[in-house]
Amino acid sequence: MAGVVLKLEKVNAGYGKLQTLFDIDLEIPEGMITVIVGPNGAGKSTLLKTMFGLTTVYSGRVLFYGKDITRLPPHERAKLGMAFIFQLNNIFAELTVWENLKLAGHDLPQDVFRERVREVFKTFPRLRERLHQKAGTMSGGERQMLAMAIGIIRKPKIFLIDEPTAGLAPKLAREVLANVKRLNEQGYTVVLVEQNVKAGLEIGHKGVLVVNGRIAFDGPARELLAQKDLAKLYMGVV
Amino acid sequence: MNVNILMGTLVYGSVLALLSLGITLIYMTTKVFNFAHPRLSLFGAYLAITAMAAYITGKGIQPDLTVHEGIIPYRLAYPASVYIIGAVVAIVGGIIAAMVEYYLILKPLLDRGSDYLQLMIATLAYDFILMAVLFLYNTHVKIVSLLNKINVQSTSVDFSSYDLYIMKGYLTIPGDALYSTLIVLIITAAIYILLFKTTLGVKMRASIENPPLAEVLGINVRRIYALSWIISGATAGLAGFFIMMRPSVAGLKPISATSPADEIVVSAFAGSIVGGVNSIFGSLAGGMLIGFIEVYVTFFIGIATGLGAITKYSRVISMFAVGLFLLFAPQGLAGLYKKYLAPPPAAPELGEEEHEEGEG
Repeated sequence: MAGVVLKLEKVNAGYGKLQTLFDIDLEIPEGMITVIVGPNGAGKSTLLKTMFGLTTVYSGRVLFYGKDITRLPPHERAKLGMAFIFQLNNIFAELTVWENLKLAGHDLPQDVFRERVREVFKTFPRLRERLHQKAGTMSGGERQMLAMAIGIIRKPKIFLIDEPTAGLAPKLAREVLANVKRLNEQGYTVVLVEQNVKAGLEIGHKGVLVVNGRIAFDGPARELLAQKDLAKLYMGVV
Repeated sequence: MNVNILMGTLVYGSVLALLSLGITLIYMTTKVFNFAHPRLSLFGAYLAITAMAAYITGKGIQPDLTVHEGIIPYRLAYPASVYIIGAVVAIVGGIIAAMVEYYLILKPLLDRGSDYLQLMIATLAYDFILMAVLFLYNTHVKIVSLLNKINVQSTSVDFSSYDLYIMKGYLTIPGDALYSTLIVLIITAAIYILLFKTTLGVKMRASIENPPLAEVLGINVRRIYALSWIISGATAGLAGFFIMMRPSVAGLKPISATSPADEIVVSAFAGSIVGGVNSIFGSLAGGMLIGFIEVYVTFFIGIATGLGAITKYSRVISMFAVGLFLLFAPQGLAGLYKKYLAPPPAAPELGEEEHEEGEG
């Protein structure tokens, strides 16, 4: 049985004084894609951000390979091997592609960094052509590539990806999800928050449905996809 | 061209450039206009005056006003160590005042999620606190007596120790004009190198542009912000040092608990706004431009119109310039540069991976 990368125990969290997550118990299995779905405003992104320390946790614990990281700031979690890819603003638009990559590997030994840059260029050859270009001048798809490349450079133990297909054309969105699948095939554990429920669950191993800040379903992605009353659940009727 | 006025412009412009730089840097990182900023420079100046007076008295140093002949005649009233001590103490004073403001007031408020208005009011409160501290200091240790002890502001000895008399005295470059301009140029170059040639600089630019993402990549954004407060405090202290040396420039009053921080605050913010608020190099240029407008342009408007008294209203004229910028070029000098002068984005290049990798 796969190990558990992340574990949330009775977590209550939110932003400032506004609580949006209630009594969350969740395990993220190693080497799998866990897809979090749910209606707008249900708390999917908040759940992902809570895993990375970007929200206020009022009670409960967040464990990373059994270590309590509940009070650990995001930059320390990054050092432990967690990578977070934001839905928007997931690259430094004012910096060049090269500077973005350099920043991603700022704490790596030079030879390791070089090796990883080569890996990135193998996966995304387009980025090599854009090396000196300001990242903000690239197309939407290229930006998503760079966002993932930033993650790959850090060779994290887990990728937390927040709605990577939001605002993209269907063809481009399929490409991005294929890239997510490829990441997982390379051995990375992925937690994916996805608006496109069907497309997301199709590439996932585990499915989590969040409704009104609570977990309404936690099981195999295929099972969640097969739920006849998924729409009902999705509309918030639990 | 009136050389004296031009030299005064250089000193005042440099002071404003240093102050505008600090204001802009803090705005870019902490997202707050720091109204206490000019007072930080006064705090630095107070400490510098005290240290210099103690040093001169302790060592029994007497000023020497003789002009030494040579290819470039010069005067050395005080040894350089007096001024170096003054400048270093002013910088340290500025940093201390800035660190107190950041760590004891703004950071706790930021951690509690205070909005920018609350932060701005907090900087005003800190300004009052700092003013009260300086008042208290002035009550117990008369700052004017210390100034007399070190002979600055007494018309004969300030930075004029380092005046350069070029062409047998036909052209005099005052020491303060020389050093203040030189320091602004050095700081501009140093900041360019820091921001664009070092990994720390890339981290700084990244933390300014997208703090959450920088944090996600393991960068300690709060530490980067603290660094920006250190730079801001240091440049404020340095500005205070130059103000102390020649406050008469641009009609500033001699140093007291409130002056000239209260007078210069408007001009310093004007420099930051004209520079473009979000541009470090813009702020340096903006400060210089406002200094030029307030001293040089106002002087010539006075001559041209026969209204010499207009120089008393120099800040109104610089405010007029701010108004024009906000109306026609709200992105300031930085925006104008981007629009008309900046080179277009570099064309993609192939096969430079190895070369680039060597840069880090």
